[in-house]
Amino acid sequence: MKPKNQHIIDLAKALFREERSITKLTGWFQIRETAAKNEGKYADLSLERRTAALLHDELKELPLSISDNAVFAGTQRDAFARTYALINPSFRVETFSGYCDPTAVYGDIDPDEEFTKERIEKLRQYTLQTPYVSQLNAMYKKAESYTGEVIYFVEQVTGHLIPEFGTALQYGTKELIATAKAKAETETDAEKKDNLLAFADALACAELLAGRYREIALAKEAAAIAAKDDEKAARFGKLANALARVPMYGARDMFEAIQSFMLLWEIMCIEQAPNPYAFSVGNADRIFEPYRHGMTREDAAALFCHFLVFFNVADRSWAISQNLIVGGRDYDGNDLTNPSSYSLLDAYFEMNLPQPILSVKLHKNTPDKLYEELGRFFFSPGVLTPSLFNDDSLFPILEAKGVDKEDLETYSVAGCQEPLIRGKDNANTTNSWLNLGKILELTISGGVSTITGKKLCDFEKLPPEELLPRLREKFYENVKSSVALMADSANGASRALSNLRVPFLSSFMGGLDYAYDTRDTEHQGTKYNGSGCLIHGLSIVADSFIAVDHLLKERPQDAERLVKALANDFEGDDELREYLLSCPKFGNNIPEVDNEAAEIANKISDLINSTKNYLSNDFRADWSSPTTHLTYGYWVGALPSGRPARDMMNYGVDPLYGSAESGLGMRMLSNMALPFCKMCGGYASHLGIDPKYFPADSFEGKGLQFKERVIEPLFFNPAADGIQPFYLYVNVTTPETLRKLLKNPKKYAPSGVYIVRIHGTFVNFLDLSPDVQQDIIRRLDLASTANIGGNE
Amino acid sequence: MPQNQIKYFQKGFNFSQDGPGNRLVYHLYGCNFRCPWCANPECFAADTKVTAQTVEEVANEILRSRPMFFSGGGVTFTGGEPTLQFEALKELLIIIKEQNIHTAIECNASHPRLCELFPYIDHLMMDLKHPSDAAHKAIVGMGNQTVLDNIAAAASTRQLALRIPLVNGYNTDDACIDGFIGFLSTLPQNPLLTVELISYHEYGKVKWQKHGMEYTVQNGFVPPARLAEIRERFRQAGISTIQT
Repeated sequence: MKPKNQHIIDLAKALFREERSITKLTGWFQIRETAAKNEGKYADLSLERRTAALLHDELKELPLSISDNAVFAGTQRDAFARTYALINPSFRVETFSGYCDPTAVYGDIDPDEEFTKERIEKLRQYTLQTPYVSQLNAMYKKAESYTGEVIYFVEQVTGHLIPEFGTALQYGTKELIATAKAKAETETDAEKKDNLLAFADALACAELLAGRYREIALAKEAAAIAAKDDEKAARFGKLANALARVPMYGARDMFEAIQSFMLLWEIMCIEQAPNPYAFSVGNADRIFEPYRHGMTREDAAALFCHFLVFFNVADRSWAISQNLIVGGRDYDGNDLTNPSSYSLLDAYFEMNLPQPILSVKLHKNTPDKLYEELGRFFFSPGVLTPSLFNDDSLFPILEAKGVDKEDLETYSVAGCQEPLIRGKDNANTTNSWLNLGKILELTISGGVSTITGKKLCDFEKLPPEELLPRLREKFYENVKSSVALMADSANGASRALSNLRVPFLSSFMGGLDYAYDTRDTEHQGTKYNGSGCLIHGLSIVADSFIAVDHLLKERPQDAERLVKALANDFEGDDELREYLLSCPKFGNNIPEVDNEAAEIANKISDLINSTKNYLSNDFRADWSSPTTHLTYGYWVGALPSGRPARDMMNYGVDPLYGSAESGLGMRMLSNMALPFCKMCGGYASHLGIDPKYFPADSFEGKGLQFKERVIEPLFFNPAADGIQPFYLYVNVTTPETLRKLLKNPKKYAPSGVYIVRIHGTFVNFLDLSPDVQQDIIRRLDLASTANIGGNE
Repeated sequence: MPQNQIKYFQKGFNFSQDGPGNRLVYHLYGCNFRCPWCANPECFAADTKVTAQTVEEVANEILRSRPMFFSGGGVTFTGGEPTLQFEALKELLIIIKEQNIHTAIECNASHPRLCELFPYIDHLMMDLKHPSDAAHKAIVGMGNQTVLDNIAAAASTRQLALRIPLVNGYNTDDACIDGFIGFLSTLPQNPLLTVELISYHEYGKVKWQKHGMEYTVQNGFVPPARLAEIRERFRQAGISTIQT
């Protein structure tokens, strides 16, 4: 970047350092306290309008500030708590129980003189009595025997949506308010009319927040003038001017567009405080490009540096999994990469922050320039890497699920890898979690946990010689009955959550068209709606079925021995375990087991994709396991694949670590056997690749080799049949490198930040809990991606 | 009738080291040479785990691997010495060539019927270890007359990637270099012929030890100055060499 921007960039870096020094997050608590205090004032209003009124009060009372290092106003700090498990040092696989307790967050503030124990407890007790929490707790109580050891799990989904702020950026919130009011006037349905007025009320919060920030900016400008600090005076003067205009009116340039976006985002997050994880931006390059007006790549990048800092909250960047995309194509295949795409990449590289997550959409006509520019990300140690999406596959998959042609190019990624249509799709992406590994364990044991000995469910108990030849049949029966219960619980969680209305967000999700809240479980407030189901254990179940087949064929007398060995976690029967481990495993291009995995993926996807949610829309099969392969694996007993009890399950659609040892080509071929066309909810896949596989001597050259050797064969392979894979993330590093880093972080990451990828997000490796650090190291699994050498 | 079997000890994909593009490389078991510097001694070690598959099975595996033959890739048979399994290899090559798979063979050029395979090989790699028949026999256990004949036959008719491993103490003195150059000078002009000088490395040393065999090469590395000198002598003789 040119030196003239250096000051702006330096400010962004100082702003990030300042943010990382914050260790106490209490804004969310004050917000909830304001809501609790004022709720009675609005008892006569409908739930929707009451929520909008409370949002107004929350924003009015919330303490605000603007840093001396800021270029823009706004923060997400007040919406988040220090909670997220992966980056919480106290996270332990053994004790993690999901995010199901909505009052657990009250344990995240260490009491002090201001936030006393009594004050915290009072609000917790208040929250416990709310319809939301009581309904949610009743649902969990009912599902206890299934969720306790994670046959399935469900959760209420906050965040995880992609708002359409484009119209507000272009015309301003006043225009949207006028639209809402005009529609309300002609609306004959009382509920809809009321909702539209609530949306208008909520949108008016933008002016309140901008006005409050403007006062602060003006005060800072005046102080800077008094101190004869011309740069600061000009900076805050410019900011005050922008805040007089946006988000109320249309943005006139890049600066105003970014400022407008940030304030809308802040309100959206505050509306859902605490912890609305994984709200996502969508294609930021397309959102901001119309406001560039000839601004140089470097100038835009400098502003984007500040935009990126906005997504980082406090000492560990707690607002995790907020996703920003660049690149992609339109319906006709034209590339939509634009100058803002490259400015955003420059900002990402310059800042190398733990958040927000970067995703890149690719297609067969993606220009080489984009791959060249990505090289520096993949091949600089400790630098963030984007996750990669294949538009050429996702367009037909989404179209087959009913997405209109004109909406396809706006698909975005909510959180990790779930594709949603920006501003039109409420997919409740993390609503339910299905554990195929546990169901297989319980199918064999007859419903009794081999981990705890507890009777968890009424799966039929059959003698081994009768069960094992019918293992598939019984397994699928049990999956079916579990999924029915899971859907019931998941819909219960969604219904409980619908007590917490979101009129502000709804205004950017189609609410002005449909006049219903996004979370309404009786009426659809978005164009598209569904519920997610994250499915765990694909390859370990496939490996298990094949191992049982081999055992029945080669040593049928050992059927009973197998069942006993599984119940005892192979204790005293190493010989049998060795035999099971030697049976074919997914990921080695062995048709027998690869086809089995494909069959499982087909059947389970069909089952999920035909299960109905609260609005009778489909659940969406999502073969992802965001660290839950680890946490849920802890509750899965020994399996016929030879996997011991409590070991992790396979990650996403990948082979279990250590079981694919035939190198990258074989692993890719196995992967190609899977029915990606049915994974409409998304899936996860990771390759740990040795940097030596890309010998070019420049980042640009390595980027092109990455395209040639990984992306093209996987995503755009002319010799492959059907829908090709559409998601990948990589870590181009070695276990040794990460172990050295852990041993001597000051030497290998003097800045304290060393970014790695973990499922859909990237994180500072040094921020992670030890369990998760070890998971990342194990799953690099370089044998599964090796280049098998020849003679020299 | 039982089908011919292919016996191999390793397989996997490799980018551009064993022929062009991304290649599925089969290391066939067995070798008739005993090169002291061999990088894959497991090809003749008694305790190597060997996989045997029918020609049909291997052909099917190759065909379903087609999506990974990108950037002009295909399948490579190396070893060991792949031509030791001559009949099975020929049968397999015929099948996969019919399916337009790009084929490559890396061999020691010692098989008397090697020319029969030429029509089914797109990319042929052969080694020449020593120009003298007697020294060749002393070092690897067999003379080199068939090797030279096969190299000459290939060089006069088709593409050939000829590789000369240079190992200090075995084949890098002036007499050897003169011998290599003398032989190469007898070959016809062929734009499809490349000559690569491969400097000694010890990638295989640990494998010898792992299989309980003694690695006898001492000081095999060719000093950089001597390597440059050898390259220059080839150049002066009008033989261009490549480096990969």
